[in-house]
Amino acid sequence: MVFLTTLFNGLAYGFLLFIMAVGLSVTMGMMRFVNLAHVSLCMLGGYVMVTAMERFDIPFLATLPLAFLITGLFSIALERLVLRFFYGTDDLTQVLLSIGLVFMSISTIAYFFGPEYKPVSVPVWLTGQIDISGLTLERYRIFLVCVGVILTLLILFGVERTRFGAMVRACVDNPRVASGSGLNMQVIFAMTFAVGGGLAGLGGALSASLLGLDPNFPFRYLVYMLIVVSVGGMGTIVGTLIAALAIGVADVCTKYYFPAAGGSIIYIFTVAVMLWRPQGLMGRKLGHA
Amino acid sequence: MRETANLFFRLRVRWSAWEIIFWLAWAGAFFYPGINLALLGQVLIWGLFAMSLDLVLGYRGIPSLGHAAFFGIGAYTAGFLGKYGWTEPLSGLLAAGLVSGAVGLMTGRIVRGLYGVGLLMVTLGLNLLLYDFVDRSTKLTGGHDGLQDIVIAPVLGLFRFDMSGHTAYVYILIVTFILFFGVRALVNSAWGLSLIGARDNSRRMTMLGAPVAGDLTWAFGISAFVAGVAGALLTQTTQFASPEMMSFQRSADLLVVLVIGGTAMLYGGFFGALVYVVLRDQLAALNPIYWYFWIGLLLVLIVTFFRTGILPTASQFWIRLTAHQSKRNKLPGSTSL
Amino acid sequence: MEVKLLMKAAVIALSCGLLTVAPVSAQETVKVGMLISYSGISASAGIASDNVLKMFQKKYGSEPGGKKIEFIRRDTTGPNPEVARRMAQELIVREKVQVILGPDFTPNVLAIAPLVTEGKVPAIITGAATRGIVGEKSPYYLRTFFSIPQSVRPMAQWAAKNDIKKVVIVIADYGPGQDAEQTFTKTFTEAGGVITGVIKVPVRNSEFSGYMQKIKDSGADAAFVFMPIGELSLGFLKAYADAGLKNTKLKLLSTGDVTDESTLDASGDAALGVISVGHYSPTHPAATNQAFVKSYLAEFDKTPRLGFAQVTMWDALQVLYAGLEAQRGQKFDPDKFIASVKGKQFDSPRGPISLDKTTGDIIQNAYIRKVERIGGVLQNVEFETIKDVPAQ
Repeated sequence: MVFLTTLFNGLAYGFLLFIMAVGLSVTMGMMRFVNLAHVSLCMLGGYVMVTAMERFDIPFLATLPLAFLITGLFSIALERLVLRFFYGTDDLTQVLLSIGLVFMSISTIAYFFGPEYKPVSVPVWLTGQIDISGLTLERYRIFLVCVGVILTLLILFGVERTRFGAMVRACVDNPRVASGSGLNMQVIFAMTFAVGGGLAGLGGALSASLLGLDPNFPFRYLVYMLIVVSVGGMGTIVGTLIAALAIGVADVCTKYYFPAAGGSIIYIFTVAVMLWRPQGLMGRKLGHA
Repeated sequence: MRETANLFFRLRVRWSAWEIIFWLAWAGAFFYPGINLALLGQVLIWGLFAMSLDLVLGYRGIPSLGHAAFFGIGAYTAGFLGKYGWTEPLSGLLAAGLVSGAVGLMTGRIVRGLYGVGLLMVTLGLNLLLYDFVDRSTKLTGGHDGLQDIVIAPVLGLFRFDMSGHTAYVYILIVTFILFFGVRALVNSAWGLSLIGARDNSRRMTMLGAPVAGDLTWAFGISAFVAGVAGALLTQTTQFASPEMMSFQRSADLLVVLVIGGTAMLYGGFFGALVYVVLRDQLAALNPIYWYFWIGLLLVLIVTFFRTGILPTASQFWIRLTAHQSKRNKLPGSTSL
Repeated sequence: MEVKLLMKAAVIALSCGLLTVAPVSAQETVKVGMLISYSGISASAGIASDNVLKMFQKKYGSEPGGKKIEFIRRDTTGPNPEVARRMAQELIVREKVQVILGPDFTPNVLAIAPLVTEGKVPAIITGAATRGIVGEKSPYYLRTFFSIPQSVRPMAQWAAKNDIKKVVIVIADYGPGQDAEQTFTKTFTEAGGVITGVIKVPVRNSEFSGYMQKIKDSGADAAFVFMPIGELSLGFLKAYADAGLKNTKLKLLSTGDVTDESTLDASGDAALGVISVGHYSPTHPAATNQAFVKSYLAEFDKTPRLGFAQVTMWDALQVLYAGLEAQRGQKFDPDKFIASVKGKQFDSPRGPISLDKTTGDIIQNAYIRKVERIGGVLQNVEFETIKDVPAQ
């Protein structure tokens, strides 16, 4: 009973992590580009949503695609203007570049929106709980799970069944051959970045109500993003999903059943997986460093 | 053959004039009127800490996102000793380094087979675990508020760690120099060369018969020893230890410090520390709430224009300048290392 | 290796030059260091303090006891003992301040205690609530903030008196949280109550559903919550409301941190009806407060919102001015300063306060309040007063 509720809560949290992290996984896998600023894109989506609702009275549901679009467009701009000059440089350079961008994003958001927490109000029909077959579940979490499932199906369909998806997969598997086959890498990179960034923004907008929104968001979630992506395996969608759900469920369940362990279960899990399979649960075995 | 090899190593190890000036400047800073010794002491500790990472990152090519763990272990070891009666600083320093070094050896053993993201995540995960444990174990470690009531006896029974920071500065400087000397000798020895070789092409090194895996473990161990001593220095001079010393924030800052200055140079860490600590102070004074923006911008600019770090870029610029000039003067140009 | 070091030597020389830039101290000026957070998680406290300083000097002038005051700011950047210690060293050794307003956060207080003692610099703690740090750690510490037992004990006593028999305690798992748990348990059980369990939440936590479930399971009459001001309090309140716990007969009792004005607006409806124990609310009806609130709002409105942070600094300034006034015409003496303010009473916007004669810790009223919406704004409305609660 309680276990099912806890499990459900964990799944909702997991889907949230998935939506936020999937873009990072694909760009890291495909472009071998460590873009830690991805978590700033999540934050941007959150602020877009809040501004749209407060300033322009746009209803909550409509702000979600808006967050996706605006963050997606911003991602393209970021990629074209800044990031693409750093493809092919070593990991450390990319890490430092993206950390620098994260720092700048935090200050910029704090400057425009103030350093405090932003109140986020979701429509009434998403608040409170509802009884489903004996379980009392929070409505917002049900919403999250539904959105998560729909998005997952869309992404999987997009990757497996569309031509663009095939191109993305080709670029992830073997960039050289893909480009040799005549695929326009620049365009594919930019488009993938846009979609990944848009998803990050969408995830951020969805998370604002559950997890709170303030300029320090990137500091709090950067580690989670990295964990989800590396445990799942870079460049894989299913892997990221499994990792995100596992971490979400593990986090919620251990807090309920083994509270003494606190948040450390996740780190132990991460270290264990990384030692066992450094490429992640479903990642491709990488060549020798 | 042997003579050439000896000559080679002797040349590598020779002290240049600039190095001597560097260390004399630090020593001389002590006598400069009104100088901020506390700040410079912090810079030295960061520099020492960054040098420890340099050994593993610059000379061996292993990016570690969890080096603050070693710093923190050293800090808390020195703290526990000071708290529970063993107040002699020099032995406390050594003990802290050894404990940290032992943990480093174990870590090296664990991460031997890893590379890339897997390695980063393991080092990060271990760091976070340690931090979490220390942060929450209030009864054992003082928890979030840190370890208190640490008592450190005067150095050599004579020099008390007083408020003015004079003893602290000299203590830090001497210890830093001794460790620097040791690591420098190590890096310029045959062992150091095999480390660099493993960084550049570990398969080839294995074929040459070098014990690559064993060397890596020892590199981690020595690096952890140095980091542990740096942590102990901080604890002993401030009589305080807190979980923040082993936080991910510190590991990340360390990476920034080292890369700003330049890797694989030993001095890069000190330079980066100077820039980072001083800049952070100045920027925070100007506009405390938004200094993150400027630090972020600095990082982006450095990564864009000073790809290898400020020091290597500046020095290459200098070399090209002097080579250009000496060509004009028809003299043999100076060469880099 | 060689030529690169030219850069270093030059930079060091340059920095040495930079770092020596220090203002020359005049004779009759009293230098006061403000050692609080101007950046990081508590940045708004820094802004709050600056506002209050302006307001205070407008009202009371800037020459207490006939001496000119010079305020020197240093940023602790949050609970950062390493930085705090270095800043304190700068203030005490280089700038030669005579009094310090601050520091904030317990780790900082502990870290600079030896400096404060050795340098004989009275320091008025404005942001650390741990018990015992004032008297024990240095004879030069005073406090205008609050201490945890000062808040928690009245809450436990109120609960026992108001038909609450079983309580589940929820705390953030760090020193102050554990302190709060011990104090509440002791007071509540002594009054005949029962603690059904203790739920410990990690200090860095974003997802609360597991903890909410445990609260539901506890079968208690009330949940007593201790969380630090900021994201944890906010997250907790939202999760509490989301989990439907507000519709149960469970009462939510907390310390003032959870309903602090700095996060109250962001909490929204989730905070309505929460009963908390605090030491200051802008709705406090006394005349001193009305005037205080009026002038603050007129000048600063909601940047940041008026709350305990401002009052703490205001009172610290009152202590400072009183101590200096007592030494009018004499050279500044730190021991006389401490002696003159210990045991003294002050009229604070929060109510009457005084500094303990022996320890210098604060003695103040505790108020039981409820969060209500007044004129569209969420406020903590006081409905019971417990007078002169000691800090221990």
